[in-house]
Amino acid sequence: MALRSDQGIVLRSFPFGEADKVVILLSPNRGKLRTVAKGVRKTKSRFGGRLEPLTLVDLVLYEGRNLDTITQVSVIEAHPRLRTDLDAVLAAGTMVEFVDLVAQEDEPARRLFLLLRRGLETLEAGPVHPDVVTAFLVKAADAVGLTPSLVACAGCGTPGSFRRFSFAEGGVLCESCRTPGAYLLREGLVEYLAALADADLGNLPDADPSLSGEARGVARRFVEYHLERRLGSMAVADA
Amino acid sequence: MFEPPIQRLVDELARLPGIGRKSAQRLAFHLLNTEEADALRLADAIVEMRRSVRLCSRCFNVTADEECAICRDPRRDPSILCVVERAQDIPVIERTGTFSGRYHVLGGAMNPIAGIGVEELRMRELVGRVETEHVAEVIVATNPTLEGDTTAMYISRLLKPAGVRVTRLASGLPVGGDLDYADEVTLGRALDGRKEL
Repeated sequence: MALRSDQGIVLRSFPFGEADKVVILLSPNRGKLRTVAKGVRKTKSRFGGRLEPLTLVDLVLYEGRNLDTITQVSVIEAHPRLRTDLDAVLAAGTMVEFVDLVAQEDEPARRLFLLLRRGLETLEAGPVHPDVVTAFLVKAADAVGLTPSLVACAGCGTPGSFRRFSFAEGGVLCESCRTPGAYLLREGLVEYLAALADADLGNLPDADPSLSGEARGVARRFVEYHLERRLGSMAVADA
Repeated sequence: MFEPPIQRLVDELARLPGIGRKSAQRLAFHLLNTEEADALRLADAIVEMRRSVRLCSRCFNVTADEECAICRDPRRDPSILCVVERAQDIPVIERTGTFSGRYHVLGGAMNPIAGIGVEELRMRELVGRVETEHVAEVIVATNPTLEGDTTAMYISRLLKPAGVRVTRLASGLPVGGDLDYADEVTLGRALDGRKEL
């Protein structure tokens, strides 16, 4: 059994035994990490506050048989401002939920990690851009191989701007590939999504109130369709 | 394996939190060797507790009556409401002896990651009470975690427009603690919430 160090963003944690917690993190090198933090639920604990969700930490881990035990934690970025803004917390909740669903254990997740870190950094810098979650979902889906086809037909690959969108086919469809279930999206929406997919999360184009809500809905349904899971955090935020 | 009546008790005890096989056996044999009246008193206490305890119709605290003892107490100030996540949190605050208002038990906290939203909490009841009981201040005493903080922000957004004062328990250094042992997040909050001397 050995000690090793790693870095990670805390995704979530849950009580384990009397006073311990299982803490789930995303590490750039090892993907999803499942670790145990002993005694953190006691007030005397030295690192309870450092292992709150959304915190970027440096860790020293003691390798166990199935879960690693955290022996040291230091905070790199706690995102304190983000935690005092309800909209920012809800946006961060969706980012973390998505990452938690797609990340795998023992599989490097460098792009996903950088994207999540950038997302949290952007929310920390505030104010919350209305499209930040939409852009994150499209970009993060791309990072795990679920790229929506927005500038070419998902069926035959013909480049062009099409407005028929199929969740099952994974993008826009041209007239000859069009399937019966494909939706006709609002004028400009596909270009709007494509622009979000290309932009840096911290520097998104100005939001268009007439397209923003629908873009969010399309990104959400796209991700939910392909992951076969509902994003509970978005239901909370949209309630 | 024991005789069936003993085994049944061992199995039931082992389902309790923090009790393993071995402890369950020890407890079962203790109950077997003790005076019969003592063992039956325990059984009776469990039955009575389960049969009589329900939720206070006003604050959702646990009680044996229609309303809990705190809600019925005329000396409690109805204009201050302390919102807690669980009924277990009430005795903890009561022990401080410094709060004289009433409580409201939410039944949990919002979790923006796991998707636990306000529909699962007694939020509508809280709004109703603030209106009908002429509450002037709501003290949010949810846990100082991401979930508790999110819930607090939601309550503040919900009630502030109605002109109610919404406050949050301070977080910071434990009394009798040591500064070099404090984590940076807690210490940062303690600095934010410092008090003029």
